[in-house]
Amino acid sequence: MDSGTTSYLVRRLMWVPVILFVVSFVTFALGRLGPGDPVRVAAGQFRDDEAFERIRAARGLDKPVYEQYYIYMEGVLTRMDLGESFRYQDYDVSEIIFPAIWRSAQYNAVVLVLTLSMGIPLGVFAARRQGTWADPASISFFLFLQSIYSLISVPFLLLFLALKLGWLPASGWPRDCNVTLDFLPQGYECIGVLSAEAVIPIIALSLPAVAIWGRYTRAFTLEVMREDYVRTARAKGIPESKVMTRHVLRNALLPLSTMIIFSLVGLLEGSFFVETLTGIPGIGRLAFEAIGGRDYDMIMAIVMLGAVTFVLASIVVDIVYTMIDPRIRYGARSN
Amino acid sequence: MRGIRALSAIGLLGLTIFMLACGGSDGGGGQNGDDFAPDGGGGNAAADLRLLGGDPLTLDPAIAGDAGSASYIVELFGGLVTLDRNLQIIPDIAERWDISPDGKVYTFFIRRNAQFHDGKPVTAQDFKFSLDRTAKLGQTASATADAYLGDIVGARDVTRGRTDSITGVEVVDSSTLKITIDAPKPYFLAKLTYPTAFVVDKQQVESNPRNWTRKPNGTGPYKMVEWRLNERIILEANARYHLGAPEVKRVLYNLAGGSSLTQYENNEIDVSGIGINDIERVQSQRDALSQEYVTGPNLSISYIGFNNNTPPFDDPKVRQAFSRAIDREQIARVVLKDMLPIANSIMMPGLPGYNANARTPTFDPEAARQLLAESKYRDARGLGTVTMTEIGGGATVGFDTQAIIEMWRQNLGVEVSISQAESASFFDDLDQGKMQMFSIGWIMDYPDPEDIIDLLFNSTSRQNNTGYSNPQVDALTLEARTEQDTTKRLQLYQQAEQIILEDAPWIPLYFGRDHFVVKPHVKGYDPAPIVIPFLRYLSIER
Repeated sequence: MDSGTTSYLVRRLMWVPVILFVVSFVTFALGRLGPGDPVRVAAGQFRDDEAFERIRAARGLDKPVYEQYYIYMEGVLTRMDLGESFRYQDYDVSEIIFPAIWRSAQYNAVVLVLTLSMGIPLGVFAARRQGTWADPASISFFLFLQSIYSLISVPFLLLFLALKLGWLPASGWPRDCNVTLDFLPQGYECIGVLSAEAVIPIIALSLPAVAIWGRYTRAFTLEVMREDYVRTARAKGIPESKVMTRHVLRNALLPLSTMIIFSLVGLLEGSFFVETLTGIPGIGRLAFEAIGGRDYDMIMAIVMLGAVTFVLASIVVDIVYTMIDPRIRYGARSN
Repeated sequence: MRGIRALSAIGLLGLTIFMLACGGSDGGGGQNGDDFAPDGGGGNAAADLRLLGGDPLTLDPAIAGDAGSASYIVELFGGLVTLDRNLQIIPDIAERWDISPDGKVYTFFIRRNAQFHDGKPVTAQDFKFSLDRTAKLGQTASATADAYLGDIVGARDVTRGRTDSITGVEVVDSSTLKITIDAPKPYFLAKLTYPTAFVVDKQQVESNPRNWTRKPNGTGPYKMVEWRLNERIILEANARYHLGAPEVKRVLYNLAGGSSLTQYENNEIDVSGIGINDIERVQSQRDALSQEYVTGPNLSISYIGFNNNTPPFDDPKVRQAFSRAIDREQIARVVLKDMLPIANSIMMPGLPGYNANARTPTFDPEAARQLLAESKYRDARGLGTVTMTEIGGGATVGFDTQAIIEMWRQNLGVEVSISQAESASFFDDLDQGKMQMFSIGWIMDYPDPEDIIDLLFNSTSRQNNTGYSNPQVDALTLEARTEQDTTKRLQLYQQAEQIILEDAPWIPLYFGRDHFVVKPHVKGYDPAPIVIPFLRYLSIER
């Protein structure tokens, strides 16, 4: 890495705390200033003003927002304390959120591998068949799959694969975990994605994503195929298969790798609908519940984890770019 | 070259996860260190009851305030008294009790064979500790202590932080507990059936104040074997339970959610709730599921409430007109597919005091128009804008609401607009009397009319969210609070109810009803109308 790139990255890193401060403060303040609060939500229709005031005071909810924010951030930064859940009152936020992310991530990892291994060959295939019926046919087929909403696909999969054929269970997470990694901490041992229960959610999550990778791969591949050096390679008499792998694919994968890194951030997310319909105790469902229940600390933790990983991923992308493509220089002034 | 490597690194990562996982499956046959295996092994899987549940928000009886948490807590813990299936108050850990002639002092005699799950006997001191602890938690953690223990002399001094011990709860000896309340309130005993008054193990709570609820040492018919948040709960029968060991030895709750009826039909769970989309199917004789259909009432009611203090609903004639313009029978039949019975009273069937002869204004469009014409607003135009608020995400309005709105339009010529608020905002606005008209329900906390007639309609009650005020109702509910004669007391509530129905601060809509399918091998599944410890009434026969 040259000095220009290094100083560019250092400058970017210096912005990270500023970005995170803004995101965290805005999230924190929006939650606190919006209507409703966790004390009242927990009480439902029951009302006792004096008791509510007392509980708000005990939890620091009566303090000005900036002071609450300071107290919260102090806990996060000095004690790694993400706070207590207002909703699941017997647990700390970190005890709830990380296992949920881990469960969603298991599904997402498998889905990513599956969709890449189907999407990239599909894209290359379509690019090579450009101008024939096979190109639009294959892409349209996967576009069709992409446009089926999980609210529709999941019930169909449940109906046929579980009820009609009886091949698979209808729940999305194994009740009795058969595959465990006992060296992992308590709450994380279960590798639920390796179970019959996981099949339906994985299909539902994978099908729509294949088309995305296929279309990008096709576009990047076509772009490279029009390059002069590809024509030169062909003119030299290099076999077509070698042209494709050595010259075309390798260069087409460069932009794709950026997208893959960003989609790694997506591993930490969860699909609310698939998780709810099949019963996966993941982060998508948890986030939805947290917002409805005004679970302040939980919302904060979920938003901040998303923000931190996204910001870091974009820096990683920059670094990876300079590594895989030496032509890229950041901060170097062009003369 | 580097591009390819970056990609294969990601591929490898995926592969590593797979391999790690597979490796684990070879070595980790045991069930995460538990001494039984859910399928076969130590337990008999065929004898397990498998349910779909949600996570309890807390298993600490002192702070729990929601039905979901309570449904687990009543199985794991117990109090002095409990409810049977007919909602009669029966002895739990107290084998009997005396009430002083003035109705203010309760003396409970604790049974000698009552034990915590670990075998420790339960004493009066345990109850004193538990009730004091609940009240202290009321200072900082939960408002339920004020609601359920507030009648005990000195309890509010503890919730307000003035002292640490409830003066009205005294240990006479290790098996006798004396509780003094502020007025002779016959419904006090009913409040003690709620988790707030349950007994906890002092030693366990004090040694692990933050995490003891993960495996609480309670006194209830079931013991906690495992609680994996968001994944599952396993309960095991307490063979030494003082009211008789439960027949179902193990209960497995799937906490991960999913499509309930699909899991039921796929034989993954033994009981499933039935929603409106499936009700016709399970009631149809042609469907095999109809053999497994079970239904029963619950103590709840849905209603439309009027803000009695703001125009146009400050005029009773307008409220009556709106009430008489709705054909609830038609809505129940067409829209709700007869899942819910029409409410012609406020107190519901099953609640002491329910009056089958109570009269709510009936559907009569002619009378409705007449009432509107007689009101001070004269006609639809005079009403100004009328908005009904309900809980919702803003996307669609329920069919029943649409039907009601349409009936008002047709029968009164009034265009009512709908506003939706998500629940947190809704309760905020309800509390501050910001809504003209709202659609909501009420679920009974304990089976006593005080919990609805007094709480929601007495003008001095903080829960009275319609702003309804009638001196006669105030006087009747006040008198009923301390009336010792049960028959007379229930009559007072019925009188108050009839006055309320005529004043129409509410349009009572439907009573609650639960619909289930239950596998034939589960015997005795008769849904209780309110949260009670009910697993012990079930058995499994294959």
